[in-house]
Amino acid sequence: MRRKLPSLVLAVLVALATAGVAAAANGGFTPVEPASPNAHHIQHAYYLILGFTAAIFVIVESLLVIFVVKYRSRGRARAVEGAQVHGHTRLELIWTVIPVVILAIIAGFVFYELPNIDSAPAAADPIHVTVEGHQYYWQFDYTDSPNQARSIGTLHVPAGAVVDLKVVSPDVIHSWWIPALGGKIQAIPGRTNHTWFQADPGTYDGECAELCGVFHASMRATVQAGSQQQYRHYLATWQDTIGKQIWNGVCATCHGNLGQGGYGIAIANNSLLTQKSGLEGILRNGFTGAQGSMPPVGDTWTQEQIDAIAAYVKKNIYKSAPVGATGGG
Amino acid sequence: MAARSEAAYPVGWKNGRVASWLVTVDHKRIGILYIATSLVWFVAGGILALLMRTQLATPNEAFLTKNSYNEVLTMHGTTMIFLVVIPILAGFANFLVPLMIGARDMAFPRLNALSYWLFLLGGIILWLSWFAKGGTAHAGWWSYPTLSENLPFASPGHGQDYWILSIHVLTLSSLLGAINFIVTIHNMRAPGMTWMRMPLFVWSIETYAILLLLALPALSAAVTLLLLDRTVGTHFFIPSHGGNIVLYQHMFWFFGHPEVYIMVLPVFGMISEIIPVFARKPIFGYKAVAFSTIAIAFFSMLVWAHHMFTTGLPVGLDSFFMISSMVIAVPTGIKIFNWIATTWRGNLIFDTPMLFALGFIALFTMGGLSGIFLAAFPVDWQVNDSYYIVAHFHYVLFGGSAFGFFGGLYYWWPKMFGRTLDERLGKWHFWLLFVGFNLTFLPQHMLGLLGMVRRVYTYHQGGQWEAYNLVSSIGSGIMALATLVFLINVWRTNVLRKGIRAGNDPWLADTLEWYTTSPPPAHNFDSVPYVTSARPLRDLRRRLAEQPQ
Repeated sequence: MRRKLPSLVLAVLVALATAGVAAAANGGFTPVEPASPNAHHIQHAYYLILGFTAAIFVIVESLLVIFVVKYRSRGRARAVEGAQVHGHTRLELIWTVIPVVILAIIAGFVFYELPNIDSAPAAADPIHVTVEGHQYYWQFDYTDSPNQARSIGTLHVPAGAVVDLKVVSPDVIHSWWIPALGGKIQAIPGRTNHTWFQADPGTYDGECAELCGVFHASMRATVQAGSQQQYRHYLATWQDTIGKQIWNGVCATCHGNLGQGGYGIAIANNSLLTQKSGLEGILRNGFTGAQGSMPPVGDTWTQEQIDAIAAYVKKNIYKSAPVGATGGG
Repeated sequence: MAARSEAAYPVGWKNGRVASWLVTVDHKRIGILYIATSLVWFVAGGILALLMRTQLATPNEAFLTKNSYNEVLTMHGTTMIFLVVIPILAGFANFLVPLMIGARDMAFPRLNALSYWLFLLGGIILWLSWFAKGGTAHAGWWSYPTLSENLPFASPGHGQDYWILSIHVLTLSSLLGAINFIVTIHNMRAPGMTWMRMPLFVWSIETYAILLLLALPALSAAVTLLLLDRTVGTHFFIPSHGGNIVLYQHMFWFFGHPEVYIMVLPVFGMISEIIPVFARKPIFGYKAVAFSTIAIAFFSMLVWAHHMFTTGLPVGLDSFFMISSMVIAVPTGIKIFNWIATTWRGNLIFDTPMLFALGFIALFTMGGLSGIFLAAFPVDWQVNDSYYIVAHFHYVLFGGSAFGFFGGLYYWWPKMFGRTLDERLGKWHFWLLFVGFNLTFLPQHMLGLLGMVRRVYTYHQGGQWEAYNLVSSIGSGIMALATLVFLINVWRTNVLRKGIRAGNDPWLADTLEWYTTSPPPAHNFDSVPYVTSARPLRDLRRRLAEQPQ
């Protein structure tokens, strides 16, 4: 009985793996449902490799189980030798050549799919966005827009449009990844990387994929692919919401939703919130002092962004009385 | 005792119970010291892993967060790689290489002792960093700049400096060890032991030592530049002053990928020793197994940038590193097929070492196959730095290296201590570990494909994310239980002395270490037989059987 246990467990494993192929796309057996051509083509390559590797997995593990069951000792003494076979050149050549052929097919297919993954469709007129990874938020700079539109945390694009992303970072390495919209690309200080997507309508979430410090886990990004109208509406009215976006996406991570404090100090009743110039200095240059230190979160912000966050905190966050009295919701 | 004359036969302080271990230059004792020290850190690093799995068991958990989590993940990775897997393999190599080649000791016994003490020192430096200003290093075990730089919101404080110092000391230790292994293997083999009659484990240690010599200097150089940046104000890796971060990635992975094979080739060697003995057969295709080791080592020097596919390298480079990474799968496949063929028509005996060896094949195959996805760089863009990667390298490093070295421990324990580890507990250990391991790491493939990135201290999604994470955390608990069973087994065998006394050759094995007593005397062999094949002990047994009584 005990000797059959290995085969049993392995059989279960094999069953699990094959069930995975069957369950496809549901339950995490393939990458998330693609919503952009590059992600679709990555998925194709994934399926091809999955087909070959699943077959190899089943063959190797079954052989192992079959041999384990078939050639088990069955109470023979240890001194009894098995067949003294030292090798078989032709057989060994076969299991060298077959993997070479399989790998060549996989590599060939990757090169076949590569143009569709690596480069955006040539015909389309792309929208240009600079994605800036920053401790600990994503900032989007809509470089085509005449009014220097920006957003924090959420990227607004028209569905179906090709979006060309320039990916940069001013501080440490981050990694841009929206699983449904294709692969990752690192945001590296001192370097500009490129990627692209062409999103189906919908909302897609992702996270920074490179350890970037204390709040790496909070560095989320969302892509909202709506209508052309919604996109143009956002670009036209970005100043109206940018203060709130900055508060929620940048400040609240450390200081709490209401400025009640958290990892960073409580700031809700700090009168600095009402002084724009002082606030601007801290946002642009960071701060180191007895109460702790703060990174220069706003070192790449436009004057409009500074104005907007200053106005927002003055109006919505600043409380002259201690915040504890109002209770943190 | 009473009759002993102190004057005539003085017993120096060096022969004391503790002191004799402190001043020893005996390769067997040094090997055991290496292994014991590594196991202590294995438990410590495992506890760190359990802390992380506890934090990740459910969404929005607050057990271990932010910087503490980053410290723990950095220390877990660094400890498991530099203080567990590499040194425990060095320990096996120390104990086994001279015995397997019929030598009296290593070529440079004092240098050998220095290697061990440097390893211990390096480990202590790393773990002292818990008390450093600003806590331990928290930039991950790669310590990518600029996060690892001495900048206000990267890695101020001294934890990172401790980390660098520790790496320097540990690389020195490994380099000295590597030189020692190469000199020993080249010069001290028993009469008749040609290269093609050398045990496959010794082949793997020869290759492991060469790889260490070639790869470690790149790491030392990289962390030296980082140290200069941090302490004297250079800016090799500070882009705002003209530095280049990608350079660090290249230097680190130029070491980092051979490193993977440094951690797994000696285990391949152990598996190649264990499977034939418990199948009662010779290894299938000795030359193929030996030469594939060399091939893997060679190609492992040419694949480093597959760790950097998301760095934004030119497509030409990505393509080169995809193909070289796929090429390395071929010699690895050869080994797996040869091991399986070795079990064909054998008399398979499922003692614990064999269970671990077969478990190794089953799990390493999984880790190798998930690696093909990563070699295909567009697919890597999707799964890189997600939990898929975490699953992949744990299948290689735990399912591979750790299952292998546990098999090795059960197999050579009687030679090291003269007593066999308990088989019943050993089987419990194996099955708990096998089940726990798969529960922990199989779901992590799915988590990665669902979009969970690695090195996050929390996540907010419920549903499948929560289910897979919970299963993974439960699995890690079972692995902890398995390790406890192993420790009890060691306690029972060596401290309570309940282990069965082993003769010279309890497994009827093939190689020279089983020719001497268990444990071997200080000088290893009174005489070494002339080696006429890769299986000298079997030759000897047959000759004895042919002699008329």
